[in-house]
Amino acid sequence: MNRRDFLRDLAVGGAVLNWAPRVLAGQAAAPGKGPDLAAVEGESPYLITKEAVAALGGMKRFVGKGDKIIIKPNVGWDRTPEMAACTNPDVVKALVELAHEAGAKKVTVIDNTTNQAKRCYVRSGILDAARAAGADMPYVDETRVKKTALKGEWLKEWDILIDVLEADKIINVPIAKHHSLCRLTMGMKNWLGALGGARNQLHQNLDRAMVDLAAYFKPSLTVLDAYRILVRNGPQGGRVSDTKLVKTVVAGIDPVAVDSMGATFFDIRPQELLYLRLAQERGLGKFELEKVRVEKRKI
Amino acid sequence: MKREKSRKYRLLRVLRAASQTAFFGLFLTLFIGAHYTGQDYIGSTVQRFFHFDPLLALVTFVSARLVYALFIYSLITIAATLILGRVFCGWVCPLGAVHQFSSFAFKKTKFLRPRREEKASLAWKYYILIIVLAGAVLGLDLAGYLDPFSFLTRSFAVSIFPGLAYALSGLKAGFYALGLTAAGRSISQLLGNWTLNETFLQGFAVGFFFLGAVALNAWKERFWCRYLCPTGAFLGLLSRWNILKLRIDDEKCIKCGLCTQHCETQAHPYPNEKWRSGECIYCETCAAICPTAAIGFPVKATPEKLTNISDVNLSRRKVLLTTFLGLVAVPFFRLTPSQKRADLKLIRPPGALPEPKFLAKCVKCGQCMRACPTNGLQPALTQAGPEGIWTPMLVPKIGYCEYYCSLCTQVCPTGAIQKQTIEEKNKLKIGSAWVNKNRCLPYALGKPCIVCEEHCPVSPKAIKFVEVEAKLPDGKTVVQKAPVIDLELCTGCGICENKCPVVDDPAVYVTSVGETRSEKNRLLLQVIGEPK
Repeated sequence: MNRRDFLRDLAVGGAVLNWAPRVLAGQAAAPGKGPDLAAVEGESPYLITKEAVAALGGMKRFVGKGDKIIIKPNVGWDRTPEMAACTNPDVVKALVELAHEAGAKKVTVIDNTTNQAKRCYVRSGILDAARAAGADMPYVDETRVKKTALKGEWLKEWDILIDVLEADKIINVPIAKHHSLCRLTMGMKNWLGALGGARNQLHQNLDRAMVDLAAYFKPSLTVLDAYRILVRNGPQGGRVSDTKLVKTVVAGIDPVAVDSMGATFFDIRPQELLYLRLAQERGLGKFELEKVRVEKRKI
Repeated sequence: MKREKSRKYRLLRVLRAASQTAFFGLFLTLFIGAHYTGQDYIGSTVQRFFHFDPLLALVTFVSARLVYALFIYSLITIAATLILGRVFCGWVCPLGAVHQFSSFAFKKTKFLRPRREEKASLAWKYYILIIVLAGAVLGLDLAGYLDPFSFLTRSFAVSIFPGLAYALSGLKAGFYALGLTAAGRSISQLLGNWTLNETFLQGFAVGFFFLGAVALNAWKERFWCRYLCPTGAFLGLLSRWNILKLRIDDEKCIKCGLCTQHCETQAHPYPNEKWRSGECIYCETCAAICPTAAIGFPVKATPEKLTNISDVNLSRRKVLLTTFLGLVAVPFFRLTPSQKRADLKLIRPPGALPEPKFLAKCVKCGQCMRACPTNGLQPALTQAGPEGIWTPMLVPKIGYCEYYCSLCTQVCPTGAIQKQTIEEKNKLKIGSAWVNKNRCLPYALGKPCIVCEEHCPVSPKAIKFVEVEAKLPDGKTVVQKAPVIDLELCTGCGICENKCPVVDDPAVYVTSVGETRSEKNRLLLQVIGEPK
């Protein structure tokens, strides 16, 4: 690391950790359609999600009239929301409502769970939340997958859920969590839940698999739930003491930048994460947050 | 002579069929209900049927030397039988309904042509009953193999519903292929919602016995109920004093013999004095089909002679001999090495009693296997010795024990698996996980993996990782994160084995050693007084 990098990291890390909106406010006010990244802090996961999308310019920027939308939260584990193993249900609910309001024809929430599907869907609270907001939330049918050419550098092809393939737009809604192998699981890792097949084999080259998947799935919007993050014993935790309240939702159009900002919540510099560096090299986005237009709000 | 059938008994026959349908429907509803409904605690499901079963109540009491309070309901069945005879068999029993309906179907299709007078011995079910009871005295619980509720529940759980799920999957694939996505999807959602398990060791064998028992109805009507069912035999013995006694009006009777020919249970209505009150299940067939309405069941409160209740000639010698056979059979069940040392694959569900008590109480009904949301509970074959055939064991390669689930402990009808709250269950160890370094990817191939560590549900994790050096085939050395097990924390849930990418013979696997319930099969010594 050279001195310039160090100073840059220091500036970014400091800005993010200390919530110094003024440092970034100038960028947020830049002209254009809106910022690339919005981070909103507040007491209600539901309200900060809506505010974050509003800060990006509203859901109409991402969802067109008559679109079929897939919302892809992390419902991987049979864990209740206070364990921070699955996306906060209120975040999902807010997004379903916003997608409907923006004119979506059909909103489907889906995830290929790791624990038994029904238990994950129910106990995460997401099934109830999604249905209450008018979304469909089907269990993954392992036979309804399609072998798809990913044209990745490592992953050439893999089974992808047909529900996801058939969508017009995808909204990725990960939660920020500790992970032993790739250190942090956020948006890019969340794509494993859109796959079928023997996903556990992807661990043999997980960082590259994540980059190949992120290059294939092009979400219109990534909303990272960092209301309560999992800081140890990831990716499923098991005790409330494994979690930390950050009370923030990060929304963005640049999936790499979203994950990068997520990393800062764990006091990890984005460039320490191999997959973020590879993703930037591949041109999927920027992990250097100072090059991204960020809007921060607190409600 | 005016030929006219009895309207009253024709109506009663319809009511009887309605009652059978209702109880079978109730059974099915409760059976399907025994799964993860979205609630952690699902309340009473099909096990309630078992609690009305006096044979299971008696055998469990005798073999396990334990009183299980819920069996108090079986007194209702006993009282009803004492007063009304075997109405339970004819009007309530869901397995009886299956046999009755299939006999009816075989008759209508002319596969079954009942003889004018059936001479086959009805004694077998009594001998079976005596052997079961004699075995129970020495702690052997064989009731579950032929008890109608156990038999039906097990067959449905391990074979019929898995077969149905398989068929539905096929139908679903057909719908998808035809582009009928919505229809296909509703099937897949139903399978997910009801958590219908599809894979069972022994599924074929259990199904073979069930379909075999149904097929035997093509030979003799209600074959099972006549010749095999020990519960029916038990109720038959209680059926001496009942108040409803068959009576043939000699003036109306034209001696056509239809009643005896079509009697479902060979109770021999004609001639009147040969009627076997212990065999009659009050199906009302004889009275309903009698062309001159000569048959009725008036109230008459005199007991039948013991020889007349089933006319099976249960002589003292035969009873003594079969009792002796039941007793001497027990040692042969105990020659197995599983009596000495636990089988490594015999991972019992959480809350299972210590092995001898467990075997004395488990009725092999397979309810726990139905309720298991991951399909991990499977019927054993050899692992628990001959008396443990079809008792439940966790096979992590098929499914693991879901951390926040205690459904199997909630549905057990006899308390062989003791009811656990989820907090209680998570304190129990059912086995211990081990790493096979010769197959584990980081250790053996120098590749990253630690999928097992990721899936370990306890916090802090029972699977940790350490950095190890591995040699690659080209001689280079790589450093990888590799799993190590902390057995103090491991519960033996088996998710590591289930999710291990080395699918054929997982590199991390669970064996039964260290299970909380056993004092013999333990591993880590907790020396008294030493802090943990």
